[in-house]
Amino acid sequence: MGHELIKARLNLYAVMKNLENLVQFDPEMAALSKTWNVSIQFSVLFGPKAFIEFKNGRCRVEKGKLPRPTIRLFFISSAHLNWMMDGKGFPIPLKGFTKISFLNGDFQKLTKKLEYYLKPTDDLLRDEKFAELNTRFTLNTAAHAIPEIGNLDRVGKHAVSHIQTGDILMKILPDGPAVTLRVQNGIITPLSEETDRPMACLYMKNIRVANDFLNAKLDAFTAIASGDVMIKGQTPMLDSMGLILDRIPAYLG
Amino acid sequence: MKSYQYSKSQELFKRAAKVIPCGIYGHFSPAPLVPATSYPFYTARSAGARFWDVDGNEFIDYMCAYGPMILGYNHPLVDQAAANQIKLSNCTTGAPSVMVELAEFMVDLIPAADWVFFAKNGADVTNYSTMIARDATGRKKIVMIKGAYHGASSWMQSPGHHGTIEEDSENIIRVPWNDVSAFEKAIEENPGNIAGFIATPYHVPVFADNDLPNEGYWNKIESLCRKNGIVLIVDDIRHGFRMDMGGSNEYYGFKPDLICFCKALANGYPISALVGNQALKDVTARVFYTGSYWFQAEPMAAALETLKELKQLDGPKKILCIGKKLMDGLVNLAKTYGYNLKVTGAPSMPYLRITNDESLMLHQDWCAECTRRGAYFTSHHNWFVSTAHTDEDIQQTLTIADDAFHSIKKQYGDRF
Repeated sequence: MGHELIKARLNLYAVMKNLENLVQFDPEMAALSKTWNVSIQFSVLFGPKAFIEFKNGRCRVEKGKLPRPTIRLFFISSAHLNWMMDGKGFPIPLKGFTKISFLNGDFQKLTKKLEYYLKPTDDLLRDEKFAELNTRFTLNTAAHAIPEIGNLDRVGKHAVSHIQTGDILMKILPDGPAVTLRVQNGIITPLSEETDRPMACLYMKNIRVANDFLNAKLDAFTAIASGDVMIKGQTPMLDSMGLILDRIPAYLG
Repeated sequence: MKSYQYSKSQELFKRAAKVIPCGIYGHFSPAPLVPATSYPFYTARSAGARFWDVDGNEFIDYMCAYGPMILGYNHPLVDQAAANQIKLSNCTTGAPSVMVELAEFMVDLIPAADWVFFAKNGADVTNYSTMIARDATGRKKIVMIKGAYHGASSWMQSPGHHGTIEEDSENIIRVPWNDVSAFEKAIEENPGNIAGFIATPYHVPVFADNDLPNEGYWNKIESLCRKNGIVLIVDDIRHGFRMDMGGSNEYYGFKPDLICFCKALANGYPISALVGNQALKDVTARVFYTGSYWFQAEPMAAALETLKELKQLDGPKKILCIGKKLMDGLVNLAKTYGYNLKVTGAPSMPYLRITNDESLMLHQDWCAECTRRGAYFTSHHNWFVSTAHTDEDIQQTLTIADDAFHSIKKQYGDRF
């Protein structure tokens, strides 16, 4: 599968998914979107489709089509969507022309804030609250990127073929956040809750360790030996998952 | 029972991580030890079947340096032979005379061997064996077993691993273990293009039960190789001299063209060997392969003494018995706690797994608790038994294992 298509799927299904957390955990963005009742459909010609729905102060980002979105945005190719995500292009609005000001105004504030969290500087990461949210978003992005890369990328597919059925838990200690990757017959599904029957676990000692680990600033072998990162269970599942994680920068780096 | 702490190991590791990639790399990396913090990382000294870490903790060792130790650490006869050789010469201009003596001894000892080629590590000779097979046949493809380990060269690693490229596996065909029809299919699909078949005597994957050959498997593989002009290579690096002094193929009753030995060959001194039949001797002579230290005399003297001592002790039979005694004890002990401890592979290099929990976490915790009490058990890899393990060691190990079972029963209750 082409690089642009996989990147587009990661942008829609993994990066944009963080809007759910942004609205939930950033007080400013929560206040901004509290009263929104709007949905946006993203459709790529011969490519991925996803929608964002704001309702009752919550945000939902899902794969597929919404029957009657408020706004419908069209992209002629995966590359077109990726240009927009990189801030270099614009979508083709097919529905919701009266909401263009929303897209260029409040919604852009939201996406800019997401970008702020996902592209941190060393200075920003010194701030505990910022680091916590950046880590949460990075973990969430990884969890939703793994199935895409595992199911579509050549190296990822090979790695997935070696993962046995069962739940993989990734958790930041002591109290989370945590994500579960459910593997069933070679298909990976991300779950935002903590599984109670993991087949393999990867625990990160704290937010700082998790941030370094997830952003590849920490050598995994060293971190495991020192106890900063703890693994348990069917660790070959984690080895294969690690190979997939290592492919993320090839698309989103 | 006292539970060990590893503060000095961790301190040393912190220093190491600054100057050595990932602190400790390769198969000695603490990463597969679960949890890594329950294991010692650095050895201070060793003797017999035991080693002491830098924190002063004493362990009965069931990994035996991942295989090289077979007669016990600091074995007096082997060490003396090595020391005597060092006094005479070690790494010099010109091949050492002990090399000829060792080769002659191995040719006499190993029925499939008409000649011997020495190197340093296992991967040196597994790699060389495939070069010889290709040169002898003029073919490209090598058939290996899915999940098998023949060293860390790029062609031996699964595609996708860091540092490898797709083309590394271009001429490798992976077939499932114990599946003769898969090998037949590979031959059919690659007519006249398979140079060699390489496998261990039985399958030793990590994190999974070890798998003995089905009745008649090796004879069928041998027959297919003969019929199709394929070089049959046995990777006896891990198993060698732990099942039969003449090579593990003798244990299973077949005759390969090439056998790779390393680990137990010199009881810890660095040397590996490729042995082969007469038909491949001249081919081997023309396939250039060498290394800076491959003519080092000290390990050759150590290997000669190790093989003599193993032969005199009937080493493989002895460690199969010691291993069985230990396995029987552990399995029975596990039963008293309601656990099914499954043992696979030969008793001299067994793989263990508590089957009550398929995630392995229960088993990992038990191995870690045993290690913290002085019986060094890994949970991901087969263990190794040596001739130095005594009845007293086994009894002490069972006492430790009992206490560790008690500990995990307390932790998990009746969940498993």
